[in-house]
Amino acid sequence: MSVLDTATVDVVEPVIPSIAPLTSPPSALDADSQEWLRSLRVDATREEAIARLHALLLRAARFEVARRRPMLPHLRGNELDDIANEAADDALMSVLRRLDDFRGASRFTTWVYKFALLEASAKLRKRAWQGREVPLEPESWGLFSSVALEPDAEAEQSELLATLRNAIAEVLTPHQRGVLVALALNGVPIDVLAERLNTNRGALYKTLHDARRKLRKHLDERGLALDDWLEER
Amino acid sequence: MERPDLKLALGRLLGPAEPEVGCDVCFEELDRYVELELAGEDADVAVPGLRAHLDGCSACREEHDSLYAFIAGDRAS
Repeated sequence: MSVLDTATVDVVEPVIPSIAPLTSPPSALDADSQEWLRSLRVDATREEAIARLHALLLRAARFEVARRRPMLPHLRGNELDDIANEAADDALMSVLRRLDDFRGASRFTTWVYKFALLEASAKLRKRAWQGREVPLEPESWGLFSSVALEPDAEAEQSELLATLRNAIAEVLTPHQRGVLVALALNGVPIDVLAERLNTNRGALYKTLHDARRKLRKHLDERGLALDDWLEER
Repeated sequence: MERPDLKLALGRLLGPAEPEVGCDVCFEELDRYVELELAGEDADVAVPGLRAHLDGCSACREEHDSLYAFIAGDRAS
């Protein structure tokens, strides 16, 4: 099944309801984009255009596979090429199904490349986690230990972490806690968790967002200044 | 195992402070956002909330970085 079936088709309320970029009027299409749409819609040219489109998508999928190859040393070249081909196939189906959604806000080729890159990256993340247990309980609080802190900062850090642990345990719902811990603490990829929990990426991110907001509010109410601890990532 | 910086870990746990879009809007807008970035325009003004989402969602950030690198390389070649 295509990742896009679960990642983008289900409607999840945007985190910022006031932003409505999808309602902006279509831009004037550039000539190349117009030609792509025409050739994909006209019977006489459709088959050849689909073949060209698949070649583009495969190139993008192979690019993504090559980028991630160092992180997947256990996969052989033919397995990686299979993943790239599957990603290109699924991306092609998504693009053709959503052709009418193309608004000309970018070049047509840029628009289609994102489908291939998403499919390839999601498949590679899932492959990397294949057969691995998805931890929903905190297993890496030790990651929050910081080196070389002055005694004052150490006390402040201890207070912050203790408050955070309590908030995660007591303020969040069990579902919010599991999602937050898996994604933000244990590093489980969001599409892997979505597949295991039989949900979609947008819904999971909304849960993560709500959990984060609760934690921030909880810390703020207790006078813990987060600005001193957070930095640009 | 190397320990990540505390601030980085807290950032992952607490996410961006700014308002952000969700994953679905991010995907819909990603191509436009990347083209604006590559054109040197202010993509964050054109698509508010997307940069904050990229800070908070590692999967979307990876896909943004891939699209940016692929399109940039494509245009340079």
